[in-house]
Amino acid sequence: MRETTAGLLYGERFLLRRFRFWHKDMIITKKLIHDYLKKDDEGNIIGRTRALDAVDLDVKAGEFVAILGHNGSGKSTLAKHINALLFPTGGTVEVDGMDTTDESHLWDVRQEAGMVFQDPDNQIIGQVVEEDVGFGPENLGVPTKEIWERVEESLRVVGMYEYRKKSPNHLSGGQKQRVSIAGVIAMHPKCIIFDEPTAMLDPSGRKEVIRAARALNEVEGITILLITHYMEEAIYADKVYVMDQGKVAMQGTPREVFSRVEELKAMKLDVPEATMVSWLLQRGGIPLPDGVLTKDELAEHLEDACPAAFDAEQAKPAQAGPAPQEVTEQRRSASVCANEKDEASDADAGSGIEIRNVSYIYNEGSAMESRALDGLSTRIPHGQFIGLIGHTGSGKSTFVQLLNGLLKPSAGSVWYDGQDIWADGYPRRQLRAEVGLVFQYPEHQLFEADVLTDVKFGPKNLGLPDEEQTARAVEALRQVEIGEQYYKASPFELSGGQKRRVAIAGVLAMRPKIMILDEPTAGLDPMGRDEILGMISRMHRERGMTIVLVSHSMDDVARYVQRIMVMNAGNLLMDGAPHDIFAHVRELEDIGLAAPQVTYILDKIRARGLPVRTDCLTVEETAEEILRAVGRTKNRD
Amino acid sequence: MFKSITLGQYYQTDSLLHRLDPRTKVVMTLGYIISLFLIRSFTGYVVAGALLAVAVALSHVPFRFIWRGMRGILVLLLITVIFNLFLTPGTPVVKFWKLQITIEGIVFASKMAIRLIFLIICSTLMTLTTTPNQLTDALESLGRPLTKIHVPVHEIAMMMSIALRFIPILAEETDKIQKAQMARGADFESGSLVARVKALVPLLVPLFISAFRRANDLAMAMEARCYRGGEGRTKMKPLVYAGRDYSAYLLFAGYFVLVIGMRTLRMLV
Repeated sequence: MRETTAGLLYGERFLLRRFRFWHKDMIITKKLIHDYLKKDDEGNIIGRTRALDAVDLDVKAGEFVAILGHNGSGKSTLAKHINALLFPTGGTVEVDGMDTTDESHLWDVRQEAGMVFQDPDNQIIGQVVEEDVGFGPENLGVPTKEIWERVEESLRVVGMYEYRKKSPNHLSGGQKQRVSIAGVIAMHPKCIIFDEPTAMLDPSGRKEVIRAARALNEVEGITILLITHYMEEAIYADKVYVMDQGKVAMQGTPREVFSRVEELKAMKLDVPEATMVSWLLQRGGIPLPDGVLTKDELAEHLEDACPAAFDAEQAKPAQAGPAPQEVTEQRRSASVCANEKDEASDADAGSGIEIRNVSYIYNEGSAMESRALDGLSTRIPHGQFIGLIGHTGSGKSTFVQLLNGLLKPSAGSVWYDGQDIWADGYPRRQLRAEVGLVFQYPEHQLFEADVLTDVKFGPKNLGLPDEEQTARAVEALRQVEIGEQYYKASPFELSGGQKRRVAIAGVLAMRPKIMILDEPTAGLDPMGRDEILGMISRMHRERGMTIVLVSHSMDDVARYVQRIMVMNAGNLLMDGAPHDIFAHVRELEDIGLAAPQVTYILDKIRARGLPVRTDCLTVEETAEEILRAVGRTKNRD
Repeated sequence: MFKSITLGQYYQTDSLLHRLDPRTKVVMTLGYIISLFLIRSFTGYVVAGALLAVAVALSHVPFRFIWRGMRGILVLLLITVIFNLFLTPGTPVVKFWKLQITIEGIVFASKMAIRLIFLIICSTLMTLTTTPNQLTDALESLGRPLTKIHVPVHEIAMMMSIALRFIPILAEETDKIQKAQMARGADFESGSLVARVKALVPLLVPLFISAFRRANDLAMAMEARCYRGGEGRTKMKPLVYAGRDYSAYLLFAGYFVLVIGMRTLRMLV
């Protein structure tokens, strides 16, 4: 038997492995109900919130199942039931035939159903990578020699073996998550539950983790339950469940689920970009099948639907092909716009922030010296909406802290409205009121007993009278759309998105002229993300506020900003209008960034011979462009 | 950039002392400290000093690192010496104003100084050659008999090692929150003492909340990985005595016998 197995191709072997326990039930929940109880100080129940409402879940051994839903939909509560961290209020949960409420099997359930959590820092126990991976087996009472074997094997599976002697504090987010995965694998689980494992990671970290999860499923045959709100991670799943308000709202294959675009949108969830584009094209009159998931599928179906528009000759020079006339027009107008802007701001030269040849070195003079910025110069004139892009460690966080004088440059100078901010006697606290900086996860800085008082903290520090403080706080809270009913609430009782908006209001209340936001959407679900980005873009549009939006997501930035600065290795690599930046896809990829998803979709379609522009920024624009190219631009809707 | 801070003062190199079992080092350090208080004569201190010199030489740690550990308590040392010098009654040597220095004072003060210096060098040497992690393991292992009287030795050790892991993370977080509040106009640097203490509230409240949140998450992650206390737990890196540990114990036992012998001899004579 062994010989025959060895003789098979990899793919066949994998099928065989899957087939072996294809019909076996791994996770079954029946009418699962969970209520969170709110108790007063004496322990009396004063309220209950239903987090799960009659959830039926059926996961077979060897499957890859994705659970989608926005924050508060109950998906994390569901995950914690499968690992027996929470127990049902009603209904049952069975893992590999064991009821999770059966105490005699508690540790078996936890060993068989491993769990990877969201925050990479808060689940690593060991001070050295290998010790952390050994933690699970130690708890299981595995003999020392075997622990070492398991640790080595697990670290190799996730590709972290070379890092086994490192401290987890020195790893990137994606690497830390891979260590956590190894820690679970070392316990030899049959199934792994990933509870939003990528929510706090940058795009490259996200890819690392998803790649590891898929490999575990395909190569090791481990059942995977992936909880996420990134739709593109769900398209590889065998089955998708969509949760809403504690209930299963949809289930089926990714194709079935994603073909119901309108329902998903009603639940404020995203669909993969290719699906969205093809849905728009369908509405534009192109006969495409439902539930297109990838750009390849889209390009293929598009060619089938309108073969006449595709020209094989055109296909050859995919990237640098002669752009249609219109494109050049468009491009020129874009760059002209940029030029006008430049000239306009040159007129009042010196206004805004100017960075001259700035370097910044951490721990200067010590053994751990590291150069975060290296001779960077740029200008941020008043009135612009700028996107600052770079991967983790490119120096963008250091850069923004220089803009309001929180860090002092090691060399070079920073000027605000024509004055050197590090000159003697320069009022730097005043500067911080004019140049507002919102850090990553700003909700972590909330501290007052109620929302209004917390937002008043900034104005209070400016020494304003109380009525003025309140007036500003109220104005800021209105801007971020926090209703009056929350003013006296504790900031810690709000939802994640609300907390973040309150924290942003805390900076807005200082009435800054320039607002810098460091990853304002990190960790939020699509709904929270759209709310925040919409709010920021309104601040720019309606109040003319200068915005610097720091992000590692091109898709977030592309649709809002006028100018993009790309940082790499402590300096600016590119600086210009979005269309011009995304024309350099290869260079962006070289430094671990990506162009917006739609760029790749258009690239693919163009490579098949449909002469489309590839510099669209949104799905709507992309659909329009494809419709134009196939000659059906008119009477949409 | 707090991520790069190292806790404790471990000096990374490979030496016989580094390779010794941490338990051996803890026991010997304690034993050595006891011996310092048993020694009465200067000859005894010469023997103790010789042993210490051998240990320092074997550790491959440059002396300036050991000196760095001493610098902190220099003031304390000086005060102790001065007090003993002036306040010990006996045969006066020098007399001025209301103060006098006695022979007994000189002898007592210098013995005190030697004792303190040796004590510090010895414990510094232990922390320089042992990682905080190994120390925690050693304490857990040595403290095991205490579980009989219901001391939660394993839990204490686990808490220590979690603290060691999270201190750099929380230090970084402190820096971040401080900057975030500064961006909202908070002032941590000027004002009266009261004002400065008050200014810490916006820093400490978020920090505590964050620490609790992390503790909660971590507890859940540990449970999910089947952590259920020290019972039935195996060790990935169990402490095992090697030949060198037995030799070290033997050598140290010899030293201790010598110290006691010298002390009894002096008493007899």
